[in-house]
Amino acid sequence: MIARFSLAVGLSVLMLLTSVGTYMYLGGRQSKVAVPAQKPTAASPRAHAYNLSGTLYLSQSGAIYSLSTGRFHQLTPEDGWTQPSLYPDNSNLLAVRRQPFYSDVYVLGRYGQVVRKVTSNTAPARSHDTTGDSHWSFYPRLSPDGNTLWMSYDSPKFGYDVPFSIWAMPLGGTIRQGKLWTNAIDYTGGDMQPIPLRGGGIMYTKFSYGPDENLVGQLWRTTRPTPSGVEGKALTQPGEDCIQPSISPDGTQVVMVCTFEKQIAHLEIASWNGTTLGPRRAVIVDQMVAQPTWAPDGSGIAYLAPAVGSAPFQLWFLPKDAYNPPVPSPTPVPTPIPGGPYNGTLPSPSTAPAAAAPVIKPIQITTNDGFDATSPMAWAP
Amino acid sequence: MPLGIKPGRRARASRRRLSITRTAVLAVFAVFISAMAGSLAYFLPAAKLAWDATGQVVSIASPTPLPSTAQSSPTPTPANLQGQGAFTVLLLGSDDDSKFSADHVLTQSMILVRVIPSSKQVIMLSIPRDLYVPFWTGGSGKIDGAYSYGQAGGAIATVQQDFGVHINDYIWIGLLGLVKLIDAIGGIDVVTSAPVIDDYYPSDIYSRNPYDYERVAVLGGPQHLDGIHAMQYVRSRHNDLQSDIGRSKRQQQVLLAIRQKAKQMSPADVPSLAAALGGEVKTSIGLDRVAQLIPLAATFDNPDSITTMVMTPPLIHGGGPGGSLLPNWSAILALVRAYFP
Repeated sequence: MIARFSLAVGLSVLMLLTSVGTYMYLGGRQSKVAVPAQKPTAASPRAHAYNLSGTLYLSQSGAIYSLSTGRFHQLTPEDGWTQPSLYPDNSNLLAVRRQPFYSDVYVLGRYGQVVRKVTSNTAPARSHDTTGDSHWSFYPRLSPDGNTLWMSYDSPKFGYDVPFSIWAMPLGGTIRQGKLWTNAIDYTGGDMQPIPLRGGGIMYTKFSYGPDENLVGQLWRTTRPTPSGVEGKALTQPGEDCIQPSISPDGTQVVMVCTFEKQIAHLEIASWNGTTLGPRRAVIVDQMVAQPTWAPDGSGIAYLAPAVGSAPFQLWFLPKDAYNPPVPSPTPVPTPIPGGPYNGTLPSPSTAPAAAAPVIKPIQITTNDGFDATSPMAWAP
Repeated sequence: MPLGIKPGRRARASRRRLSITRTAVLAVFAVFISAMAGSLAYFLPAAKLAWDATGQVVSIASPTPLPSTAQSSPTPTPANLQGQGAFTVLLLGSDDDSKFSADHVLTQSMILVRVIPSSKQVIMLSIPRDLYVPFWTGGSGKIDGAYSYGQAGGAIATVQQDFGVHINDYIWIGLLGLVKLIDAIGGIDVVTSAPVIDDYYPSDIYSRNPYDYERVAVLGGPQHLDGIHAMQYVRSRHNDLQSDIGRSKRQQQVLLAIRQKAKQMSPADVPSLAAALGGEVKTSIGLDRVAQLIPLAATFDNPDSITTMVMTPPLIHGGGPGGSLLPNWSAILALVRAYFP
């Protein structure tokens, strides 16, 4: 038997706890879709599970991070820093610092300190046309000799038509000393992401209108400045819609992202002889992959892609065996040996079934980080 | 009767005490009531906002067939587009900045969506905002003005009249609503077809001067877009040879990305979503029907069952008054009849 007063007090407390608890329970049942990405240096779980060789540089929320021996280090503050690329001798980094209305290329030390500013893309103080005189620079890369800076730069532009073109300029010079290398197609977005080739020239992504009048990306190669309109040649078909190429360390393969004009992004590999691409091989077809980058030791390919139940665009690694499986060792076949007590007909040797190659899946390196998928990664040995 | 206890006092003591069974029943009832109260407190703000946003009543007169409509040859409608429960929604996306008074805004985006639950098919047809059409209210002009003259009812009536299609419901969202919606679902993952670079992008959402402009650059390829950058991607048209047609294609990409992201959400997300969208979304779909459609949307998981279409030449051609696009009605109506019975 319970006193009524005690019962009233008890029920009141119970009701209060239940209603507050229900409210909090429902609040806790919210999905994590709107949870902001964590800083790589603070994200949980940490990226210890799989140690990549060398040092990988990548960007998140306007900051550049390095990943080395399973630990992230923040190299720059969150201030528009993106698109790191390495000097040929790996001594420094090139990076883009993006402001609201323009962007510039900088040289950074391997620990993120600013060495110097390379471009000056803000409109001059005396400009009467701050819009027209401001520029974007993206995707900086250095030539193999380290003297020439390649980048996508929005010049020339024609009123509403603002395409990116590929420019080359002396690393210690100015854009006035630069050369216009490509002739961007009007009203397409233009030419992006140049990659200097060992034999001279560049591979880059050209955006154009395909036969079906959709905007598509194509890989192109050109070997000389051709602002007049006569350029090199296309390496991929418009319908493949391929972008973001990366050349293997031994220079014999190219990995790229092909979208086939859809909201998908396949990771495709093709052989590369310096002038043409071989047949494509899709190695990942079930993820929205971006910015594939070869490991400098050839051990695999890092890329960015969303992960289920996690912030978008995590770091993934595809081991070499996944796209270049080792040749299975020959299965020993019993060979009949004449002699012994048996003198009948010998069984004919049959072909042994080939051993099934183990399926190598991509490895998710990070969780909850949310990297900038428009920023290529740089990978130092 | 024990000594020392008076009958009246004992009765009072008995009334102050309850049996264990009755106490347990009371406790269960209290838990139930308080859990309901907690749930109500959690969902009430969302329900209030949803009640305000949904079930909008529109008055539409019967569409008047145009001569061009009558002349077009009838196209047989595939039976699978007429499945049970199929319905057509008109999606309207508007400027809602201070250039215009409320409810007299232009529609930057107008998309007919046919949903066929039985075959889990979705068909989307973007109508160019510059299409020169007769208005339901009389006169002619770019179709983006239909909402301005008659709000949602005017836009629906104009589309019904000109395209010979029956529209069951509409959903209207303002620019700021799109930004808030995408931010509320944590952004979207999109494969942008090409870089969108615009030196004269309207800076009218958070600016004091609605006629101001700014430079924007959305790079190409797979990426995660927040609300502002998604809006830049779908709204810019200066640096696109196809202008509004190209923009319509981008709008459809973003719509599909929103749908993809929304599939990861749970009912507990509704209050935060509703709070984010407060006043920026209106629809004629009732709250009860919204509750039915949300689980239905999650079952549309085959990308190949979603057909997206944009009106391009020869369905339309330039040269209309004021830079508008002139319709090729016979071709348009054949297309509409084929997909929007």
